Amino acid sequence: MNTARHFEPEDLALFAMQLLAQDEAAAVAAHVEQCGACRQSLTEVQGDLAAYAHTVDLHTPPAEARERLLKQVAREKKTIPIDRVPEKQEPEQETIPLASYGRGLGHGAYLPEEDAPRHSPAGRVLPWLGWAAAAALAFAAGNLYQQRDALRSIIATQSSTMNQAVPGVAAARQVMEALTDPTAKRVVLNATPPEKPTPQGRATYVASRGTLIFVADNLEPLPPAKVYELWLIPASGAAPVPAGTFQPDAKGSASVLLPTLPKGVEAKAFGVTIEAEGGATKPTLPIILAGE
Amino acid sequence: MYRETGLVNSPPPSREEDAVLLGQIRKGEEQAMAALYDRYSKIVYSVALRVLRDPSAAEDVLQEIFMQIWRNPGGFEATRGSLGGWLAVVSRNRAIDALRRKRPMDPVDELTLPSGYDLANEAERNSMMEKTREVVRQLPLEQRKTLEMAFFDGLTHTEIAEMTGDPLGTVKTRIRSALMTLRKALTA
Repeated sequence: MNTARHFEPEDLALFAMQLLAQDEAAAVAAHVEQCGACRQSLTEVQGDLAAYAHTVDLHTPPAEARERLLKQVAREKKTIPIDRVPEKQEPEQETIPLASYGRGLGHGAYLPEEDAPRHSPAGRVLPWLGWAAAAALAFAAGNLYQQRDALRSIIATQSSTMNQAVPGVAAARQVMEALTDPTAKRVVLNATPPEKPTPQGRATYVASRGTLIFVADNLEPLPPAKVYELWLIPASGAAPVPAGTFQPDAKGSASVLLPTLPKGVEAKAFGVTIEAEGGATKPTLPIILAGE
Repeated sequence: MYRETGLVNSPPPSREEDAVLLGQIRKGEEQAMAALYDRYSKIVYSVALRVLRDPSAAEDVLQEIFMQIWRNPGGFEATRGSLGGWLAVVSRNRAIDALRRKRPMDPVDELTLPSGYDLANEAERNSMMEKTREVVRQLPLEQRKTLEMAFFDGLTHTEIAEMTGDPLGTVKTRIRSALMTLRKALTA
């Protein structure tokens, strides 16, 4: 079940069709995560299955299904602007309300030229009327220009704030869910053997979501070019899964929040080792912290 | 000669057009969502219907998958291969989940397809569908039935072995052989 032992294509096909038992599926998922060859085999099997899926006799869904979907899409429209925030960052793109300001009045200097065709016969007879109108328009254009700049500034500020807030909120929600999840596995990691001050780590892990939160204290400072690396030891007996590298601060504290992990991998234990910068794919002994 | 392809009154789509549509959906353009639905609803619905044999339940799967795209159009990445192929497999997996009356298994959406199949291209899709059907028709009966039971009925190899009386290894080998025959024919 480690990277040295590849899975047979038969098993990968069953995995792709979700026909393996939970522990077997977890073992395959953990292996595929680390093994390029099996990942490639799995990709090919998925392609075969996609082709096979197209052998079904085709049926048209009821017309009501389309209406129902589009109504639901319209109902959930308000959630979409969150994804659209980055677009507002582009300084040259104008939002719809601003477009009307900008069109033809983008810069006051262009106004006399744009305004020229408006000169009426009466304007020729009474030039001062034309100049007065131009002056008034130029004044108005200047005001609008300033308003547009002010609005752009506000939008840029708000977009920036939202960009910072949205990922933060999502991560905070995920952290909160994991911390309050009654099914979460909570593990205290102790030094082996204990020393003073005793380095200690606490892992909170939700296997079904692949969510892991790890906090450690009293860690020893690291030698140059070294990092601590957290490992998830699967209950299936599969190879340890790297769960993030970290370095302690001056007080010896460190944390790993929401590392990228395959979902559904039941954990037997967690461990921490010291590895070269960039992390390792296999843990290097000794294990600094361990806990089940 | 060709059977229907699942495309409704639309010009031949391409992978690039799928990417454009997904980009528009990301911007909240409802019309793009309608276009994507028109392009792929038939295959998604048909696969779900084949698994569930219940139009109402298949419609729920259809709705769920397209709403997932609307809520998170970034969930599908072009690097994962063809959107049409991805949707067909996701539809099958979601339908199997519904069949088992359980929550969706997460890895479903993370599946990656090889770049060889361009199922967004109508001509290639027509050709591939015809070829695939022909290859499947010519598979040995045991292989064809075993693959069908696993993919469309969601039966595990153990369940298939119990039903057919075949050894477990034989069941696995039949599935594998059928898929390999299919792959060879499509890449030939």
